This record gives sequence, structure tokens and C-alpha cells, in this order.
Amino acid sequence: MIEFLKRLLRTPQGAIGLFVVVLVLLIVIFGPMLAPNDPEKMAPLARYKAPSLTYLLGTDQYGRDIFSRLLIGARATVVMAVLATIIGTLVGALIGTTSAFLGGRADEFIMRTVDAVMSIPSLLFALLVVNLLGSSTVNALVAVAIAFAPGMARITRSVALSVRKQDYVNAAMARGESSAFIIRREMLPNVVAPIIVEMTIRISFAIMLFATLSFLGLGAQPPAAEWGLMVSEARRYMHLSAGILIWPSVAIAIASIGFNLLGDGLRDALNPRT
Amino acid sequence: MTSTPEMPVLDIKNYSLDYETANGTFHALKGINLSISRGEILGLVGESGSGKTSLAWSIMRYLSKNARETSGEILLGAKNLLTMSDAEVEAMRGQRISMVFQDPSTSLNPTLSLGTQLSEVLVRHRGLTRKQAWAEGEAMLAHVGLKTPADMMRRMPHEASGGEKQRVVIASAFACNPECIIFDEPTTALDVITSRQILDLFVELQAETGVASLYISHDLALVSRTASRVAVIRRGEIVEQGPVQDIFANPREAYTRELCAAVPNPSRRLVADGVTKTEGEPLVRVENVSVHYGRKPLLASLTGKAFTRVKGNNAVTLSVNEGEILGIVGESGSGKSTLAKAMTGLNPFEGKIWFDGRPITGLSDMDTAYRKDVQIIFQHPDASLNPRHKIGEILSRPLKLYGDGSNIAQQVGDMLEKVRLPRTHADRYPHQLSGGEKQRVAIARAFASKPRLVICDEITSALDVSVQASIVELLLDLQKAGNTAYLFITHDLNLIRQIAHRIAVMYRGDLIEIAPATEIDSPERADYTRRLIAAVPLPAGSQV
Repeated sequence: MIEFLKRLLRTPQGAIGLFVVVLVLLIVIFGPMLAPNDPEKMAPLARYKAPSLTYLLGTDQYGRDIFSRLLIGARATVVMAVLATIIGTLVGALIGTTSAFLGGRADEFIMRTVDAVMSIPSLLFALLVVNLLGSSTVNALVAVAIAFAPGMARITRSVALSVRKQDYVNAAMARGESSAFIIRREMLPNVVAPIIVEMTIRISFAIMLFATLSFLGLGAQPPAAEWGLMVSEARRYMHLSAGILIWPSVAIAIASIGFNLLGDGLRDALNPRT
Repeated sequence: MTSTPEMPVLDIKNYSLDYETANGTFHALKGINLSISRGEILGLVGESGSGKTSLAWSIMRYLSKNARETSGEILLGAKNLLTMSDAEVEAMRGQRISMVFQDPSTSLNPTLSLGTQLSEVLVRHRGLTRKQAWAEGEAMLAHVGLKTPADMMRRMPHEASGGEKQRVVIASAFACNPECIIFDEPTTALDVITSRQILDLFVELQAETGVASLYISHDLALVSRTASRVAVIRRGEIVEQGPVQDIFANPREAYTRELCAAVPNPSRRLVADGVTKTEGEPLVRVENVSVHYGRKPLLASLTGKAFTRVKGNNAVTLSVNEGEILGIVGESGSGKSTLAKAMTGLNPFEGKIWFDGRPITGLSDMDTAYRKDVQIIFQHPDASLNPRHKIGEILSRPLKLYGDGSNIAQQVGDMLEKVRLPRTHADRYPHQLSGGEKQRVAIARAFASKPRLVICDEITSALDVSVQASIVELLLDLQKAGNTAYLFITHDLNLIRQIAHRIAVMYRGDLIEIAPATEIDSPERADYTRRLIAAVPLPAGSQV
């Protein structure tokens, strides 16, 4: 583990990515405790304030403290993104590994279905799911998870295909193990490395996808402090105070870039050849 | 040898090489002293990881970034290679020193024709025009014994066989009449008969051109046939060097003696003959088993288009008696492993397998009882042990499937002791074990269910010769203890002649013949068998 961390920190992407992600996670955990003001307390006299000592990043159209809202909103934004990605990854990995294990016609059938689903852009697909299920936070999560599963299935399958040819899988089959055991215990543990890399990169997509859904009014509902929703609401007031729009956007950008860099760093660190 | 009057072509003096790794410095080569004179073949013998190939690369001046040369010099003629500039090194490679690699299918560029690759060398180093180089290339291919050189020049690497490709590689190595050629296991990737032909070609060309050759190999029998002098290398140090006869007839160092003793020798049989008389039914009888690869495309079946599948096995019939060791030999692609896979249910097959009087016609007949009795061990222990499972977990699976699931830890420990590994290995991962230890674990896993037939698919070919000897010894002990029958698949004829009761010879999916091991070299054998036997170099010490 120590050795692995060292390898991760040796690349600049890994080091910066890890730093940003740890920072974001700290905010997720301790954000509400650190927030100096109540994020939903409106102050009609303190609207559109510029950054000052009381309001570190200024206030929005209702006089709410943007800094506090960002600290608290991290939980809704990042946790949702991570959860959706994990669910999508698990479903995709299981489909991909099973498809690779079965091979032949079953493999063709599963993968062509996955291809068909993949040809729909993930945002459009998420919109479709949310429209069918109704707009709420949980439904947005389900939508993003489903939109991510086909891509993960594809990546997992390509890795699992090479694992499938390994003799330990042959040995398990010759031993008469059940298919479920072979997929779960013999194959899945050997495809995790590339999946983890892909997952970290996808978390940043998920953050942006959630922000977009909230922006379109299909994810979190006001007065929640979700970052995407904050951008969406600020849109109408940006000519009065640019900060309302800029700060949540910056937060989304930093978190996305952080996870992306960590993904790049992990890819190098998990590959023993570099 | 200082007795040669002229100066050695290649002279390595007190050369040391280190690799900087994450876990500290690794001493790859320590104080190497070697010299090769004109017209001489020096054999360099050692096990994997002994530094053979590192030495080859340092002569070629192609070292990885973390390599540090701590002492010594490598002299080519009078020039020290270590102090050469990059431009000089480039001019030297191919021109004065060239190299022949192990696997011709990876050392040739698959996107360029053979002629382009060969004439490239001539244009680069001999300053010929493209046209001249092409003509010269044709002449060279004729010289290395290729029947249709003009045609061969235009072919792409995948259109030539392994032997033909290696001939092209050898032709390009000899192209500029270099002073020294390094051969890095040039026949290891080739089939027995082909490798014999390549070896003959090498000896012929070497005698003709008088080039100083460094012949690197792990195969002692092979080196003893080609080289005039031999150096034995172990863990980066030259243990012993001298004329071939001296080294093999009376080795001075213990390690050399050990190495010589470990080489399989057909005249030293390791099993008692005649123990397995065919009384009654054989344990397993394979009857007309054929295996085909490939699946009929859906489109072809709809349009009624004819579709021919690749043949893996062609109506193979053989039997194994209780407690018998049946060897199966053949070149790569002869269908040895295909048969093993069919018998363990990894390949669909046509035909019938009788096991202990019970007919098996397909996968559905292979129930737990059959799988318990028939176990398989694979070639590469790295591949056959799941890298994410601990040894204890790997060994506990067959116990849970076939045996009683009680007291697993105790049973796993017993299994490890049976294959002479410490009990504590149960807590380790496969990558923490050496190759030989891993193969022992694979053996323990196969024997966990107390099987009656164990199929060994090339299980020693990825191992060093001394490790192979100990694995074979273990297998024979286990066989005696449990009266287990073996189906021992290998391409190593010397080994199988030592341990098998009967030997089956396969060629391109067909079973050529089955003969008692002691009579495999009799003149009555089939033509192919005789060619196979003749192509195998006999180990040193049993020279004709």
C-alpha cells in the first residue's frame, strides 16, 4: 500500500489529483461543520455582496453566503456522483465479465445490446430516464448510473476477454466450478485495476452530468445547495453579481479535474510496466 | 584461451553491471571475464535470471535506463565499446556485431516484407543501392538454404514458417560479414526438427565464415553439440569455463555438476518397466476422439455456404492403464494440448472416452466423480494460479468441491507438505513464490482430490533444468504413492524417454503411433518418429 502510494505520488498528475480529491473529500466530510453561516438563511439587506470577511465569496440573490453553500453542497454533489458511478460500474463490470465468460452467441447478443444503448448520448439517456421516473435526486442518480453501465461493460469485457484465456480460469472449469463462482471469484478480481482507473475518470463526468441535470431543473430541487443547481439559479442574476455564477462553476471544475488527474495517476501507478 | 596466437575478437574484462530498481541495486553481472577468438563458438549456459541476456545486450550497447556499468571493459578488436559514442555504436551494430534473437516471429517487423528487411541492412551498412541489395539478399537467402529465394524476398513474415523466418534472420545477421555474432537462444521457439536444421545451418555458416560466435542457451545438450568452449553462468557470475569435453566430462564446480546431472538422459530410466501389464480394462480409453475449432457463422448457416472448421484432433484412439505414465510427444500444433483439453471438458469433442468402464460422450457426462478422478496441471504456473488468491485459498477449492470441507487449514498444510513446501506458504500470494514453487502448488491442487489420472500439459517446459528435475522427482514419488496414472504431454523427448512407460507420437492432429518407451528408438518405428528422435540432441556425457 505504501509502495503503491509512492508510485502514485511520483507522477505530477497523481500527486495533484490525490491532493485535490483528498481536499474535496475533507470538505464533503467536514464542510457543514466549517461553514461560517447558515446556507439557507436569507438576508434581504445583504444581496449581491462582494467577497468580504463575513462573506468570504460574497452572497447570492437572496443574500445567502456562497462559501457556506459551496461547503455544504459538496456533500450532495460529490457523494451523488461517486455513488452513481459506483453503481454504474458494478452493473457494467458484471455484465462485461459475464459476457466475456459466456462467449459465442450470448456474448454477441449482450454486446450488441450494449452497443445500441451506448449509441444514445449519456446526457440524453439520463434525461430520458429522469423524464420517465420523474425529477428527483434519487432518480437522477439512477439515470446517471444506467447511462454509465454500458460503457463500463464494454471496457470490462475487453479486459475480461484476456483473463478468460488464462489457465486459472481453465483450471477452475476443469475442476467443475460453477459459472457464478468463476465470474465472481476468479475473473472479477483480475479486472479491477483498469475498472478503478476508468471509474475515477467517470466520477468527473458524473459530477458534470449531475450539474447539468440540476441546471436543467431535473435533479436536485431548490433550495438545495447542489452546485449545478446553484449555477442554474445564478444564471438570471449574473449581470448583477458575476460571483454567484463563477464560484460554483469553479468548484465543479476543480472537483472534476481532481478526479480526472487522479484517474490518470492511477492508470500509471496500477500499470507495473511504467 | 590465451593459447590462440591471434588477438581475440571479443574480449570482456572484469565487466560488472548493476540495475537500479525500486528495491535497491541489483547486481546483474559480476566481474565477467570472457573472450572469443575468430572461428570459435563460445557457449554461454545458465538458468533464467542468470544474466545471459543482460550480457548480450551490454555487448550490443543496448541497455535499459536503470543500468549502471560499474567496472571493466568490453573490447571489440582494440576498441572499448564502453567508451564509444552513439554514432559509433550505430555504425558498429549490424556491421561488426550482429545478433540473432530467440523468436523470429517477434524479431521481424510484421508490416515489412522479408526482402525489405534484409536489404535494409545491406543498404545501411554496405552502401549498396536498393537494387543491388535486393539481388544480394536473394543470393543470401539461397545461401541459408531457402528453396525459392526470389519468392521468399517478396513474402511478408506471416507468410513464412518459423524455420524460414529464422533463416532470414540468420541471413541478415551474416549479411555484412560481421566479426562477431550473438545468438540468443535461436532455436528455443522452434520445433524439434526445424531447430535441428537451423542448428546445422548455423554450424555450417560458422565454419564457412569463421565468425566469432557467442551462443547463449539454457539447453546444455544443445550447447555441448555446437560450442567448442563453454562458460557456465550463475547469478551474474561465471562459475566455470573451458573446453566442452572438460566441462561436461569432469566438471569442477558443484553447480556445473548439478546442472549436468539435471539434464534428462534417456539412457537413465527413472521408472521401473513392466509394472503395468494390461490386465482387464484400461483406466481410460480414448476412442476416435476428434476436436474441431471454430463455430459456424450464423450467416453461413442461413445461406447454406460450406464452412470448414479447423481440425485440432483427428480421431485419436489411445488408452492409459492404472498407474501408467503415457507420454505424448509432438511438435507445437500437433494437437497434444487439444486432447488434454477435450479430456477435461475444456473443448467440445466428438467420439467417446471410456473412464473406468463408464462412457463419456460430452461435457454433460463429466460429473463431479469424473472431475475428481481426472485432474489437469498446466504449463505456466503463473497463468494457472489466480494472482489475486492466496495459496491457501487456491488449495482449499478442490477440498470444498470434492472432499470434506472440514478442517481446511489442516488439510491445506498437509497438501503443501506433500509437495515439499513449508506450511507457512498458505498465507502467500503466487507472485511471492518462485516458478518451481508455484508449479508445486499447482501439483498439490491437482492431487488434492486423490485423482486416478493426472494430465500434465508441458508442466516442466517453463522451468529451469534443475527445477525440472526436482519436479519430475516429486511427480514420480506421488505416482508411486498413489498409483496414479499420468498423461504426460511434452515436447522434450529426452525427458519423456526417461519417465514414460509408453510414448504416443502425434503429428498435425493425428496419432502416429504408440510404442513402449524403451523401443521408441528402434528402427521399426514410423518415419516421423525416427526423424523426431534423430533431431533431438543427446545430452553431454552420452555422446556418440
